[in-house]
Amino acid sequence: MKVREGANADLPGDVAEVLRVRAERLRAKPAADEEASEVWVAEFPLGDDRFALPLEALRAVLPLSLVTPVPLSPPHVVGVLRFDRRIISVLSLASLLGSPGWRQDPTVVVVVDPGWGRLAALDCEAIPRALPIPAAAVEAARAAHPAGQLVEIVTPGDRHRLNLIDLRNLLELRREGRHGA
Amino acid sequence: MARDQLLENLVRDFVGEADELVQQTTRNLLALERVKAGAEPPAGAHAEVARALHTLKGSAATLGLSEFSEVAHRLEDVYAPVLAAHAGVPAALADTLLRALDASMEWLRARAAGRDGLGLDVIVQQIAAVALSPEELTPGAPSGAEDRAKQDASGAPVAEPADPAGGWRVAMRHIVALMREVDRLRELRLRIDQRARDVEHALEGLARLGMLAQTAEPRAVLMGVRTAMARDGADLGELVEGLDDAIKEVCTLPVRTLLEPLERAVRDVCRARGKQASLHLVGGELSLDRRVLEALRGALLHLVRNAVDHGIELPEVRRAAGKAPEGTIDVRVEQQGNIAFLEVADDGGGLDAARIRETAERHSVVTRAELDRMGPAEVMQLVFRAGFTTADTVTEISGRGVGLDVVRNQIQALHGSVDVSSVPGQGTRFTLSVPTDIGTSPMLLARASGAVFGLPMLALEGVVRARQDRLHLARGQARFEHEDRVLPLFDLGALAGLRQALTPSEGQPLLVVHVRGQRAAVLVDEILHDLELAIQPLPPELSGIQAYQGAASLADGEFVMVLRPEWLVRAERRAEEVAASARRALVIDDSLTARAMHRAILESGGFTVHALPSAADAVARLRQTTYAVVVCDVAMAGMDGVAFTRLVRGHPDTRGVPVVLVSARDDAANRAAGIAAGADAYVSKKDCAAGLLLSEVSAAIARRSAG
Repeated sequence: MKVREGANADLPGDVAEVLRVRAERLRAKPAADEEASEVWVAEFPLGDDRFALPLEALRAVLPLSLVTPVPLSPPHVVGVLRFDRRIISVLSLASLLGSPGWRQDPTVVVVVDPGWGRLAALDCEAIPRALPIPAAAVEAARAAHPAGQLVEIVTPGDRHRLNLIDLRNLLELRREGRHGA
Repeated sequence: MARDQLLENLVRDFVGEADELVQQTTRNLLALERVKAGAEPPAGAHAEVARALHTLKGSAATLGLSEFSEVAHRLEDVYAPVLAAHAGVPAALADTLLRALDASMEWLRARAAGRDGLGLDVIVQQIAAVALSPEELTPGAPSGAEDRAKQDASGAPVAEPADPAGGWRVAMRHIVALMREVDRLRELRLRIDQRARDVEHALEGLARLGMLAQTAEPRAVLMGVRTAMARDGADLGELVEGLDDAIKEVCTLPVRTLLEPLERAVRDVCRARGKQASLHLVGGELSLDRRVLEALRGALLHLVRNAVDHGIELPEVRRAAGKAPEGTIDVRVEQQGNIAFLEVADDGGGLDAARIRETAERHSVVTRAELDRMGPAEVMQLVFRAGFTTADTVTEISGRGVGLDVVRNQIQALHGSVDVSSVPGQGTRFTLSVPTDIGTSPMLLARASGAVFGLPMLALEGVVRARQDRLHLARGQARFEHEDRVLPLFDLGALAGLRQALTPSEGQPLLVVHVRGQRAAVLVDEILHDLELAIQPLPPELSGIQAYQGAASLADGEFVMVLRPEWLVRAERRAEEVAASARRALVIDDSLTARAMHRAILESGGFTVHALPSAADAVARLRQTTYAVVVCDVAMAGMDGVAFTRLVRGHPDTRGVPVVLVSARDDAANRAAGIAAGADAYVSKKDCAAGLLLSEVSAAIARRSAG
């Protein structure tokens, strides 16, 4: 594919910026051993914090407008969504994490596979972006909090704190929710 | 493929074949056991038993399953005199044969799964110990020609010719994939119908413009499109119906396949307990989704065993009560739409409510206070709680307190429900309803407080219009006179937690819901239309909501929640509880997740929360319902939060309602505009994130109360 100089000129600033950063990452393709020592995550903001999901668990990012609300549902359930011909629950990440609020109204949901054969979806304030983080940092953080819903990781480049979500620990308790009148 | 692997695969295939043969043999043995002296044994039963044992022996030997083959060989030997006499099977021999077949199957399943099972030596010894005297063989009528004709000169049964039509073994996942494709076609059909309605609306719109001559050409085109779409929709409908029927053929099993283990259970428990009971199956000719049947097998077996063990009385007790010494257990199966209904009813002593209460308290299943609040129907439901048993002693059959809770869990795992009713001295009835993947249910769609719900038509007695002269209000409960009955009246919007219960206005639609003798009138805002929809189970996070039996997908991809009719007719107590909750908050936000979050926060503060997506809806709502506080987003499409606040403050009925504005715009100008419009507080999303919403709401209410 030929890429013409200034091809992003017509795009909105934030989109052009995302494309520029992606291109830069691709240009700086890591060596094979370096690649093996990284874990790719999907990173997104929630309130003042940044969160991440293992990229391998991510199945899709969909607009929130596809969600149907369910009256009488437990507070942490935003609604239901159809994905791959199945009904899946859309859960409020802020509610699951016990966070009292958010900065921006979520506009998208991420469909995730927690690993027990049934999908779930979580709302997000913004479309997540793919990010590599050092595998060693993830392992160390997980070892320190084996049953935690979140493990805190400091990204090496910009020294940002990132809360890596353990989907199993986060969703396990809510899996067989018994609610309603 | 390695030879060992090939052999293992063959053994696994043999499990299915052996299972079918053992089931057939069990069925025949139970029938032969019932043959009275001098009576004709069921045609072909002996030959089928002999042939099955012979096939089991041969197939097992071929696969190197010598222990299994040996048991089958011994069974052939012990069965030979009965076969020769063309006699009924003595009960003791039937016991031995059935036990041996059960043990052999268990051994085979363990072997196929690579587990170590118990050896079959003991079984072989038990068979060897069987000695039938000539007197024990009940001579049957001499006809037997059919059976004997199926044996060759050596006495071995002759194999039936193979099914000329042949067949394939197909993995279930392929069938499920096919069913999903049919679902897609069904949705496509709904979409075509929707498009046809859109075209119809466009034609009506053009006609209203009045320029008939100028629009004649596009209208003619649209009419042609509408007609073609209707035809395409009908063709597609027929195609879907044909595919549905074909899938049904493949995926269903006759319900009567359930009968055999149930008969066996009745027989075994009767023999163990000295009771007499007969089992009757109504609806055995029906075919149900085989996965559902398989999953139900355990639950039904449990209920039938319980019916004999706990329900049916001893013959002398029954005689003393004026009943026939032999009890009756009826299993009734029917399918309505894609819901299967199963009922297990006995004519035994019934459930003893006083004993259930006493047992539940003694075993700490519930507290005394909880018991005091329970009505008779709720007390009956205690039998489904974990740890509950009224059996005095622990036996092989029951009394361990592990029972009906397992049944309930099994049914809930299928996204179904189980219910019990009982009349002392007359018997007990368990009713199970389970959704199946096959087929669709006719459903009426209705709107209440902005949400669309589906109601299965089978529970709908009719739709009537509210009339003020037929409405009554007593002790906070609305009632409606309908055909010489006074029905409890519920507002669906309120039941669904979307609004405070409304009194119907003249002419407002009411659904008359009827479930097993209970009726209720349910107020809705609008009747939409009726559709054939497939009900799908809800995901686990929502499956505990008693209000819904599932969800159905509409043409636009949205879901409609399908109401559980039983829940609607039993809403009385719940309606009272909701009415008792005084602190109500109204949340207005066009973001679905923002509504959910505000609701969660306010509910944690003890509020009953109603949520609306627009300020215009909220203005109308505030005319009907009083709220302790309104939490409103500022930036919304249509009327924004500031304009809404101004409107609220400008109306004499609403000017005193505390309004808290929430916004991502955290600057002085926006804050000042909100306060100037009359808001009691202006909370930024950042403040919300810091956990300040609830305290701001409480402060706003306090200021209004003080002022």
